Order: sequence, then structure tokens, then C-alpha cells
Amino acid sequence: MDATQVAHLLRRTEYVAKPSRVTALSQVSVTRENAVDNILNGIGPVTIPTYIDHDIDGEGYQQWVYAVQWWLDRMIDSPKPIQEKMAFFWHGHFCSSWDKVNSAWAMMNQNRLFRDQAFGNFRDMTQAMAVQPAMLFYLDNLDNVKTSPNQNFARELMELFTLGVVDQNGLPNYTEDDVTAAARAWTGHGINWDTYDYKFWSGDHDFASKTFMGVARNWNGPDIIAYLLQENTAKKLVSCKFLTKKLWEYFAYQNPPQWLIDELANVLYTNDFNIKPWVKAMLMHDEFYSTTAMQGLVKSPVDFVVGCHYYTGYRAAITNPQWYVDGMGQEPYAPPNVAGWKTNGYWVNTSVFGARAEFARDITWRLRRNDGTPIAEGKTPEQAIAAVAAMFGLNLSTVSHDALFDYITGERLIDPNVGWWESTNLLTMAMMTPEFHLA
Amino acid sequence: MTLDPDISTQEALRLLTDPDDDPRGMDRRRFLQLMGYGVGAGLMAGGLGEVVGRDLLPGRVSEAWATSPVGPTDGILVLVGLFGGSDGLNVVVPYTNSLYYTQHGTLAVPANQVLQLNGSLGLHPNLGYLKTLYDRGEVAVVQGVGYPNPDLSHFSSMAYWMYGKSGNGTPSSGWIGRWLDGLAGDELFRAASVGQGLPLHLIGDNKRGIAIPYWGLGFGGGTNEYDLRMYDALREYAAPAGRGPWHDAIAGTVKGVVDVGQQVSPVFSRDLPASDLEKKMTVVARLINADLGLRVLDTGYDGFDTHSSQPAALSDLLTDLDAALRAFFTTLDDRFRSRVTIMTYSEFGRTSWDNDSEGSDHGTVNNHFVIGQGVKGGLYGAQASLAGLERWDRMAFNTDFRSMYASVLDGWMGGGSSTVLGANYQNLGLFKQAPGLGVGTGSLPPSVLGDFVGVTPARLYDSRTGRKLPLGAGTTGEVQVLGAGGVPASGVTAVALNVTATGGTTASNFTVWPTGDAQPGLPNLLSPAGRSVPNLVIVKVGVGGRVNVINDQGTTNCVVDVVGYFRTTTATRLQPVSPFRALDTRYGTGGRLGQIGANSSYDVTVRGVGGVPAGADSVVVNVTAVAPTANSWLTVWPSGQTRPLASSLNYVAGQVVPNLVIAKIGSNGKISVYNSSGAVHVIVDILGYLATGSPGRHFPLQAAMLLDTRPEQGGSGPVGPTSTTQLQVLGVGGVPASGVSAVALNIAAIGPSADTYLTAWPGGETRPTTSNLNPRKNTDVANLAILKVGANGKIQLYNQSGSTNLLVDVVGYFTS
Repeated sequence: MDATQVAHLLRRTEYVAKPSRVTALSQVSVTRENAVDNILNGIGPVTIPTYIDHDIDGEGYQQWVYAVQWWLDRMIDSPKPIQEKMAFFWHGHFCSSWDKVNSAWAMMNQNRLFRDQAFGNFRDMTQAMAVQPAMLFYLDNLDNVKTSPNQNFARELMELFTLGVVDQNGLPNYTEDDVTAAARAWTGHGINWDTYDYKFWSGDHDFASKTFMGVARNWNGPDIIAYLLQENTAKKLVSCKFLTKKLWEYFAYQNPPQWLIDELANVLYTNDFNIKPWVKAMLMHDEFYSTTAMQGLVKSPVDFVVGCHYYTGYRAAITNPQWYVDGMGQEPYAPPNVAGWKTNGYWVNTSVFGARAEFARDITWRLRRNDGTPIAEGKTPEQAIAAVAAMFGLNLSTVSHDALFDYITGERLIDPNVGWWESTNLLTMAMMTPEFHLA
Repeated sequence: MTLDPDISTQEALRLLTDPDDDPRGMDRRRFLQLMGYGVGAGLMAGGLGEVVGRDLLPGRVSEAWATSPVGPTDGILVLVGLFGGSDGLNVVVPYTNSLYYTQHGTLAVPANQVLQLNGSLGLHPNLGYLKTLYDRGEVAVVQGVGYPNPDLSHFSSMAYWMYGKSGNGTPSSGWIGRWLDGLAGDELFRAASVGQGLPLHLIGDNKRGIAIPYWGLGFGGGTNEYDLRMYDALREYAAPAGRGPWHDAIAGTVKGVVDVGQQVSPVFSRDLPASDLEKKMTVVARLINADLGLRVLDTGYDGFDTHSSQPAALSDLLTDLDAALRAFFTTLDDRFRSRVTIMTYSEFGRTSWDNDSEGSDHGTVNNHFVIGQGVKGGLYGAQASLAGLERWDRMAFNTDFRSMYASVLDGWMGGGSSTVLGANYQNLGLFKQAPGLGVGTGSLPPSVLGDFVGVTPARLYDSRTGRKLPLGAGTTGEVQVLGAGGVPASGVTAVALNVTATGGTTASNFTVWPTGDAQPGLPNLLSPAGRSVPNLVIVKVGVGGRVNVINDQGTTNCVVDVVGYFRTTTATRLQPVSPFRALDTRYGTGGRLGQIGANSSYDVTVRGVGGVPAGADSVVVNVTAVAPTANSWLTVWPSGQTRPLASSLNYVAGQVVPNLVIAKIGSNGKISVYNSSGAVHVIVDILGYLATGSPGRHFPLQAAMLLDTRPEQGGSGPVGPTSTTQLQVLGVGGVPASGVSAVALNIAAIGPSADTYLTAWPGGETRPTTSNLNPRKNTDVANLAILKVGANGKIQLYNQSGSTNLLVDVVGYFTS
């Protein structure tokens, strides 16, 4: 692959295209498959820091801050950033929010599942996720008892986690009766209030026969997942397509063509929900290197923060991104709702983009305090532009280049010496180029 | 970490917000995404296919950021969302209904705590300020609001409210957005949401509102030159870069951040209250005060989904609501008080039966508030019945929420509800006056903005004929103006009359005003004994479609001719021009040199001269008779038509007499001027014209004194010869401070010490060679003037000879 394609692949999978990685993977001897394998191979379990692996009374907020900073830093510093990228994908898929769950222990347990099983088996992950305290709290399944069924989890299991409301032809994937039956199947799956671990309360479970998807059985909760993702092969395929569309939109562009969904969904289907071959097939696909894909993705707020950190050398404990991510629209561990975050235009409006500019400005002041030599000093306008572009890894368009050029020459008309403001503002302007916000 | 744990409500709001899934704006992907994330089945029915087939919309990325102020008679709407489904029964409490206490159980507000609205309804005790507004007659309580076949889902219910269109279509656009679609121009500062994104109801098919974060803008609001130069450079990113649509969309958004920052940041620069809605409503008020051109501001707060522990939660929420209303009206500039209406909305109401958790569940019916100075306070619609509950033990609705929308759109936002809502919904008549009425003019009728319709002059009243009698001293004549002389029987805001005093036994004056209103202080015309004096009068229509005429002294005959009327529906509007002399027979100006003889007429070209365009329907002219050889009169009418039996101007031999005339223009572009007897020089000065597409809608005011130089009235004394008096007209006497093109002034010269003339013209302009009043020594005169307002907000008055006291009343204005 050429360096452009490699850089694209790395930005999408490892947040940034580190020059050493680009160099290594764009050697003539490295095939596309070699590069993809290099990115995907060697992933293993990660230890959650002690401070956030249990609950500490009165420190919930600090624990959240720490968890945010720890995760954001891992996205750069982990030897396998793709693991964090996929963990975040699952976090946005099987949503739980710290705000409702209110437990570092439960949230990080779930986070461990997303990370350690990021490339495991989707069906296994679904079964595990369903009975973890984070999800039992978040979608109220702990309140789902025989005498008073709560449909929240049962509904989202089908609507958002596996099938989607409608299939590719617009036909419903399930009925209200299915939701009712699934809710009854999930009764009794709750919490051991002594240990806060999962517990099956058989007295609260509805052991009567229920008819789910036209099948009358004594359904239990996990049976529902097994049915949807294994036993009923039609539903299994629907799920594969549903997930594939979401994966593609997370890594490439929105609204992929149906043939592409079908092709990649088939990989997931034939590999019986093993995630790694599915992701590999996506990254290997020619369409992933099309112009549409290369130009098709806006950095999420998290991606943007990570980019700022990488190119400046700062880390989250310094920049405190937890103060800004709410304004940008994306708080880690706190998705806005069970549907998670969407992509692209979801992040591009004047309301939330201002927070990115604020973060960029904050970083600018930090750089100026710590950087003895103003970046434009002693440089011609072109040299100064080249310096900020190199600093932030930018391949500037003519439009952006000209904007910076006009700015610098305008400043120097007013003050022929390089002013303090000129170098300062150039840093902000570099972080606010459209180029810097494209993934 | 600010998110509410209630997923469903948040989900609904979030999914209905932040819509840009495509750099080019709303597109089918968003709709599909909405569909995929759980629009109720009822909304999906029949909608999906239509959505899939939609064309993508053209780009809307931050190109048009120009702002223009809100017009002085443009209504502003503030939407306050009570997210989660507020418990209308505990907001407007049926405190004498035993079913309420049975069903609402522990949730019920005790009867002795409610703030009574009447013998059976009361507000929640925490709504004290709202009660004050209600007592002032500024709160409409719309009861029993809902719609057919609700499904109780937060998402589809909110989508339905935001959609606001009849039928089961896909909620692809919002009602405010479609209202924006219907506005002229392409300005983005027309509707804004103060919150965390742009919700569906502010998104139209072609236009959309803007999102202003409630926590303020941290970037883009700088004022030092270093920041400003950086902003300029950042704006330069917004050009097609050839890097794909998302690149350009981001660049446009960066520009938008800077543009919004520059416009909006001052709003956040002072301390804001801490509580949620109070803070947002303070921001909303400041945004209105900033006069960016915003017509709709949307905000709201969450937490009304009180499935449990409702009493404490609702108390806190309503405390915030009350504080927010107080903060809003405290912050709002007085000049906007009469232009703002607040409306609450919510996705649904709550159950009348309490649940087992000291809460209530999703319901079907709610009560809402429409609040503002223009609102006709009171109760609208019927309370939902608690007996005979419907499906799922829910209440049946009485008032369709789209009827509330229609009432606000048609009563406050300039109309168009049937287009916006896709059907005709009942107008509940929530407003007592149109937007922009100044404080103290509350007695004006509901709709007073007028477009002008000229009629061929017709006589409405003549005290010399029939069984009428001359008006005695202090006698009032009532003149029926509606349904007479070509004036319609309804929909008329004001009439233009030519009123003539004739044959008085002594010097006297006439005052004309709307029947039922208080008599203004300044007369409309002053008449010497035995003589005929006409004057144009523009007067609001009073009770019974009538106007009053009072004669001050002696016994005087009165003649009233109608020359046109102002109506609320579209007709012609005024465009004032700097005074232009179209005819002066003394010097050949206008193609005529020499007097107009007896029983003859001259056609004056008025189209295409002095700025009057080919499309003008009527002209506003000051017609002056100079040096007539006999007592006579002039009639002005459309050239090419039969001359009517009405006078425009009466004069006596040897005098100079001006009068303001509104004349329809003949199809040949001319007006005819007829002289009855003797010979007379005639001067015609054009002051403005009336045309469709012109901006100026007429707005009658209760006459307010702007100037009175009489020392005994505290004035500065008579003005001297060749003196010019500057007079501020914007922002005084009920005239708005902006958005006004022309004013209608009643000008009187009292006690002139010499024969003189007075000229009125726009501030800041060179004095034209025209005259508005031509008093003779010791003869008081008055005349109506319709005058363009100068750029400095003033008009000027010039007195040629001697000294005279000046009195000026403003009686109306025309919007720009």
C-alpha cells in the first residue's frame, strides 16, 4: 500500500497515523493483509487500574474523571489502539451510562468486557453483557419481575443490540408480542444485593410458557439471545447486517450500499459472530480505500481530543478533556441514551463545534506557556505554514493553506516582526482546520 | 455528567435533535435513522416510502449570517418545552373535582393550596408569578390539549408535536421550520434553540433554525484585534476545498462558530442564574434584546417524566418555571414586551390515576400556557373529563395541539397556519392585540396592522342633508364607516377620511377619533367662522364600526368623505419618499403653467416621478391651493375615471390652503385635479406611494402629543421666523425605536403672528420647497402629514414667517 492508504488505515484504526507506523507499513514488502494483520494481531487482556476497579464512596466523580483520562490516554499509548477503538464501538453499541449505573465497579466491569472481548465473539459478548450489573441497572432488568414485567431491556435487545426495528426491506424484525414475551423471559435476572453481582431470582422469573417469534416455549432470557443469534438463522443474518452497517459507519462512511453490507455481513455470519475476521474483511475491502471512504468520516469528539493529545504530546491529566467533552457531545462512559452516538453530522453543528474550538484554544495557551520559541518566528509565511502543518500532521488543502497565508501576511503588514499573537493563533487555526477534524 | 437517567425522554430528545447526518442538511439518512431508532408504528405507516424517495436538499452551511432587526410589528414566539410529559392536572388543578382527588391520590394538590383562577381551577402553588401574569390578563390557559390516537411513547409523541402536521406522515420536518420556509429572505437568525442542539421542530424543508448552546460560547466572542483577525482567517476555510462534502461542512461550521460567537457572545457575558430553565430563559430574553432578528426561540427543560416521587420533583420543576418566567420578563427590554409570546409544550400529559410509586405514568392530555402582553388572558378549550376515561384509562382530549399552533401562527406570527400545519385548525383567538402595540394602547382592536385599499372618494356623512343637524358646541356625531362607501363590514383596521368643517357660526375645531376610545387632545382640523376647511384624517375604526366627530365651538356643519381604508389582509403598503413636487402651476412644474380654471381639471403625472414606481396604486400627496380667485374646492381622483362628488380641498379666495390627499392613480399613471369655481394655482407634493410589495403597513396609535410649544403647557414658546424644529419621532409616543418608515402626524399651528407656511420633512435631509400648513395671521390651522422618518429618527418642521406655537400629535406609523 502507498503511504496515503496506510495513513488512512492507521487514522481509522489507531486514531492517528504515527509517522513511524506509516513508514513501517508502507514498505513495498508489506501487503495490505500484512498491514491489517499487524494492526489486529497481538491483542490481549488489559488490566483496569485499581483506582477504578471498585467503588469508592464519595469519589464517583473523580473515578469517572480518572476513567475518562485513562481511556483517552490508552487510545494513543496502547500498543494496540485498535483494541480501544473497538472497545469504544461496543461501548456505543451496548450502551450503559455512568450517570444511571452510578458505579465505577459495574461500569469498568462492562468496559473490561468491551476491551478484552473486543475481537471475541459477538454472541458471547451479548450473553455476558446482558447479565452484567451495568446493563441490569441501566435498562432496568433488575426491576423486571414476573408480577410486573419491565420491557426496557427486552425491547432494546432487539431494537438496538441485535436486529434493529426493521430489516433492509423496511419490514418489522419483531412485534410487540415478541417484546412482551422476551420481557417475561428476562424476568428474575437481577442483582445480588449483598455482592452487587448478577443473581437469578427464580421466584421472580416467569416459568410459564411464552410465545416468542411464534415459538411457544418456557423461554428464559439467555434463550432469547441464543435464538436470535444462533437458532433462527434468518434473524442471525438480519443481526449480522444490522451490525455490519453500524461497523462500516463507525469506520468508513454513512449509509453503505446494500451489496457491501451483505458481503461483510456474510463474513460475520459464516464466522459465527467471531469479530476479528469480520473487521479484517472490512479493512481489507477495496471500498475501504475508495475516495468516499477516505473523505467520508468526521472525527468524533474523542478522536479529536486524542488527536490533539498526540500532536502536542499532552495527555489527559494535563488538558482535562472531561471539562470539554460534554460540550462536544460525547462523554465517555455516558452515552446520551441507549441508542449511543451517531456519526458525522451528529458532531458538525455550531452548537457542539464551539467546544472543540474551546479545547483547541485551551491547548494553545498551554503550548504557548511551555514553548519558548514561537512557531512562526524567523520563518517566511510558507515556512510557518509548513511548520504548523507538520506539527499537527496536516495535509492542507489549497483553501486552508491560503487562509493561513492570508492570516500571516496580514499580521505582518501590521507588524513586520513575528508577533506573539501570530504564532499563538496559528496553533489554534491549525487545530481548527477541517483537515484536522476529518478522520 | 449532566445527563438525566431517564433514558426514554432523553432518547426522544436526542434523536429529535442534532440532525445533520449529511453535510448538505436534512436528508433521508436522518429519517431512516429516526425510523430505525424507534419511531412508533403509527408514524411509520405510509411514510417510509415517501422518505426514501426524497431528494437531497441544497446546502445550508453557514453562508447567510446577515441579521436584520425584528420588525416593530413582528411577533416573537418563545417555546418552552416541558420534557418528559408534564402533569397538567397538577399544574392547572381542578380543585373542586372529587374525581381528581380520588384518582390523583397522594399526588393531588390540596384545594386550599391552589392559586385560584376561578371557582373550580387553580394553579399549582409554586406558580405565583404566573398567577400574577394571569391576573393581569396576559395568560391563556389552553386546556385538554392532545391529539387522536396517541401511543404514549416519548419519542413518537415528541416527534408528533414537533412535526405538527395533520395526518400520519413521517415527521420529516418541524412546524416552526415550515413556518421559516414561508418567510422571505434567507437569514439564519430567525429561529434558534437555546439548548444542546437543533430539535426537529426548528427544521423545515428548506430552512432551519440555529443551535445556541445554553452554557454559552467559549470561542468566537473575542473583541480584541488579534482575535478578530484570526476569526477572519477561520472564516476563509469556508470555501469548497475539493476534499469532499464533510470537509466543506466542517469548514462552514467553523465559520458558523465564529459568526455566532460574534453575534451572540454578549448575551452570555453577564452572570446567569443557576437553575436550569431560569438560566435558559434569561439567555433567551437577552437574545431577543440583542435584536438579531430572531422570531422564534426554543428552549426547555427536562424532568417531567415523574413516574415516582412526583410531588417533590414537580414542585421543584414548577418553582424553576415560575422563576424562569419572572427572569425572562425582568430581563426582556420594554420595547419587546408587546412583541413576545411564550407557549409551553410537552410530548404528552400524565395519567389521572396515580401509580404505586407516588408518581404518574404517560398520559394523553395536557394543559398549556400561552403568555404575553398580546394574549387575551383566560381559559380556552375544556378541561379533560376525569369521568369515563378512554383507552388505557387515559383522558380524552378536547383541544388539538395543532389548534394551539394555528392560533399562535395566525394570531401572532403573521399567519399561514394552514400551509404550515397542512390543514385548517381552529383559531382559538388567544390574542387581544397584534404584536408591537405599545404599552398603554391595550384598548386597540385585536388586529391593527393595515394594508391600504384606496376607494373612489365617497360621502359617508353630511350634516347638511337628510334629517341630520349641524353639530352644536361639544356635540359629537357618529359616523358609520364600516360597510359604507365601499368600506367592507369587517377586517378593517382604520379608515382614511377627508373631513370638512363648513359654515360654522364661529371659529371652531373638529376632533375625529374611534368610537369608544378617549377623545384625543389635539383637534384634526381648525375652522374659522363661515368657512370650509377640509382635512385628511386617518382614524382607527371604533366600536360598532364607527368613528366620532366632535365640534368644539358654535354650530358647524360636517362632511365626511372616505378615500380609503386599511385592512389586515394584504393590499397595498406605504413607501414614503422624500417630498417631491409633482405640480406647481405657478412655475410650470409638472407640465402646467397657469391656473386651473373654473370647472376644469388637469392630469398630473405621478407614476415614474419622485420615486413613484410603475406599480404604485395610490399616491400620498399634499395638495395646496394658491391664490384662488373665488371660494371653491378641489377634487382629486384617479385620472380616466368619473369624477366623484367629493372634495379634497376647500379654499376661500386669496388664501393658501394645503391638504393631505391619498389618491388612487389612474391607469395612465396620473391623478386628476378638478377646480370648481374661479381660477387657482395648484401645487402637488408627493410624500409617498402605496403599492403591493411596499413595506409599510399602517399601524394606528392612540394620538400621542410629541410637541407642544405653548408656554402655558410647559412648552418652550413659539417658534420664530425661518426656524427649524427637530422632532424625535422614533421610540416616542408608541412609535417603535426601529422598523418604522413613516409616521402619520397631526400638525397644528396655533396663534401665528403673521401669514406663513410650515414645511415638514425627514430629519437629516435638505428642506424641500413644499408646504404642509399655510396659516394666515392669527388663524389656527391643523393638517395631517404622512412623513418619511429621517435616518436619525427625526422629522423637521420649518416656519417661514412670524412666530407660532406648534402642536404635533403622532396618530400612526408605517412599518419598514
